[in-house]
Amino acid sequence: MQRMLRLKRELQMLSCEPPPGISCWQNEDKIDQLEAQIVGGSNTPYEGGVFKLEIIIPERYPFEPPKMRFLTPIYHPNIDTAGRICLDALKLPPKGAWKPSLNLSTLLTSIQLLMAEPNPDDPLMADISSEFKYNKQVYIEKAKTWTEKHAIQKNQGSSTIDKEVDEEARNGKALLKKRVATSSDLEKAKKCCI
Amino acid sequence: MENTADNGDSTEQGSNEQSEVQRQHQNDRLDREEDFYHFVNNLSEEDYRLMRDNNLLGTPGEVTKEELLRRLQQVKEGPEQVNQSEIGAEENRGPETPDDGSNGDSILDWLNSVRQTGNTTRSGQRGNQSWRAVSRTNPNSGDFRFSLEINVNRNIAEQQMRAEGEMTERSGTEQPMEVSSHLTETTNVENADMDSESPGPSDADRVQEVSEPQTSHDQTTQRGVRRARSRSPEQRVTRPRNDRSCSPPSRDNDQLRISHQTSSVESQNLENLVEPHTEESSSVAQNLNSRPSLTESDADLQNSTRQDSSVLSEPSQENNSGIQASGDTNAAGRRPPTIMLDLQVRRVRPGEYRQRDSIASRTRSRSQTANNTFTYESEQGGFRRTFSRSERAGVRTYVSTIRIPIRRISDAGLSEATSMALQTMIRQIMTGFGELSYFMDSDSDSDSNRGPNIDLPNVGGSLSPENVELQTQEDRRNDASLQSGAGGESRESRVPNSAEDAGSLPFLRLAHFFLLNDDDEDHPRGLTKEQIDNLSTRSFGESDGLKTCSVCITEYAEGNKLRKLPCSHEYHVHCIDRWLSENSTCPICRRAVLVSGNRESVV
Repeated sequence: MQRMLRLKRELQMLSCEPPPGISCWQNEDKIDQLEAQIVGGSNTPYEGGVFKLEIIIPERYPFEPPKMRFLTPIYHPNIDTAGRICLDALKLPPKGAWKPSLNLSTLLTSIQLLMAEPNPDDPLMADISSEFKYNKQVYIEKAKTWTEKHAIQKNQGSSTIDKEVDEEARNGKALLKKRVATSSDLEKAKKCCI
Repeated sequence: MENTADNGDSTEQGSNEQSEVQRQHQNDRLDREEDFYHFVNNLSEEDYRLMRDNNLLGTPGEVTKEELLRRLQQVKEGPEQVNQSEIGAEENRGPETPDDGSNGDSILDWLNSVRQTGNTTRSGQRGNQSWRAVSRTNPNSGDFRFSLEINVNRNIAEQQMRAEGEMTERSGTEQPMEVSSHLTETTNVENADMDSESPGPSDADRVQEVSEPQTSHDQTTQRGVRRARSRSPEQRVTRPRNDRSCSPPSRDNDQLRISHQTSSVESQNLENLVEPHTEESSSVAQNLNSRPSLTESDADLQNSTRQDSSVLSEPSQENNSGIQASGDTNAAGRRPPTIMLDLQVRRVRPGEYRQRDSIASRTRSRSQTANNTFTYESEQGGFRRTFSRSERAGVRTYVSTIRIPIRRISDAGLSEATSMALQTMIRQIMTGFGELSYFMDSDSDSDSNRGPNIDLPNVGGSLSPENVELQTQEDRRNDASLQSGAGGESRESRVPNSAEDAGSLPFLRLAHFFLLNDDDEDHPRGLTKEQIDNLSTRSFGESDGLKTCSVCITEYAEGNKLRKLPCSHEYHVHCIDRWLSENSTCPICRRAVLVSGNRESVV
């Protein structure tokens, strides 16, 4: 409802005082499509990685939650290979916990928190979840490998800010290929929370 | 990542013009949103409520301030006008064109076109029946009621066919509302069918069948019954009949008179009454004699014996519906039935559960206390249907209640599936009505009876065969009702009925309740307007500190209207109202806005 005005304010707030490790910006001229970056927290397997997210603001925002999705592959019990996030705040009540007093900043912070502390009891990826529960070291190793592969590599690409756009595009395509490969591997692992 | 890449590409290639246009568009929208808040904040409480309740506010930024102002003025001037214009616009998408409803809002449009006809009363006559239709719309709640009362006399039908000019004239001059127009169309078509079957010969047969002694006997008993059950339409009926019995009619005369009648419902009634009672009596008697036989073969036998004598046109004898129709004729001969149809479309707002329950229980209790009742409940495709039949003091009541879960009917539009299913259902029931009136004046053409039965066995379908049964007041089995979902049950209760005086039920009443409610478990339930309005409000004053509405993240300005929830959290009225219309918790603390216990009554 208050979509435009509210988004404008939210983006102002985000640019003025962004939560640590989080940035969010408008995607081109479309105000209902945003992009965000979350820096992997220290002492997590995602440390050093920069994870990109896509945010789509529904017409009825803030009465409906924004749709958020990881663009960067991430090995996490609550995030599937398509980047979908299992987080109650991203869903409408009564199942979800979205409320209009939440905002992009708080949501991104929650996601950051979820990365640091997965919730294996509400898994989206059953295999990763049981790994996290019963074989944590394996999970940590895998998550680190993924972070290095996808998030850090991408980080290098985007850290050199002056690089040509078409190079970024090439990076993206390479990433896409990898993601297709991994997603087919993990397709069977996808369960619940969908 | 791939998105990033794509976007990078598109930026490179995308023309500056395009992004300029987009930016301009965005700015316009922002301006309009600002305007919206100005506008809403300056509304008086009354105006705000008026606009909110009529869904005129829309989405901020959607329309200009001028448009909002125009809407407000329009709704203030009178909802009728708005409605009228809407009808005009939507006249074309009547029940006949269900395919139009492909977009999300179409069901609403459709419902509007059906129900927003204002309050109208129409009456008239057609063929052998006189009718009176009343439609009432409550512009505030959106509830819609339509009732149709039909006084029927079958026997004049054939004669009337020859004087058909009347009929066409009626449908020509009237600007019928959506519902009645549908009825008219259905019946007209069927009348045409009947015409082609040319019931002439059977007329002749019938005349021969008349036997005076039986007639007089029949009439006297019936008169007694009728008086006891004094309902207005029937009282009207009684007077002429007395006159009539003194001087037996000449058929030619009657015909003549009928064809000259154009306007008076009253006189039409009289005519209707007169003719059949003399002529029909013989076949009535026959019926009574053979009534104890309940088996199918007996019925067939009976049927075949009647083949010569009955008024019925031959083609319809070939199938079971035909049998009903013939019985119909007899019943009408004994007593012209009065039929009342009630259609009620009612939107149950989310949270309005008590009221919904009360309607349901009213239905239930009625069927329990009355004699010969049965209730049939089914759940199909998300629609919960209750169908009950009761009989009391000579009035038979059919109540069909359909609860239709609708997601966010107010502004999000309906899901395609629901929309289509609902449309179909309502259409079928409308058709059922048309069918009924068709049965009143047509002896044949069972196909039109069958069709809806198959499509909608539990509601419309069970209604129509029941109706027929009712009119016939015979104990024959009919295939149509057996086919229908309720048929099996209804048959049992029918048996005792038939043991009663066969002519005792001239009055019947059909009621449909459509309860449109948000009954989806998965979906959040909101509060009703009343519940929302009960929450306290205040105006933001100078003395208040700097505070922000956490829905729109805007600081309150002086004079802003705020609503305070029981948990003491405050919001802009228009911000929180929208949230509460779909949710029942505070956006900040998530505490339930209503006292618990309300939700317990939910489903």
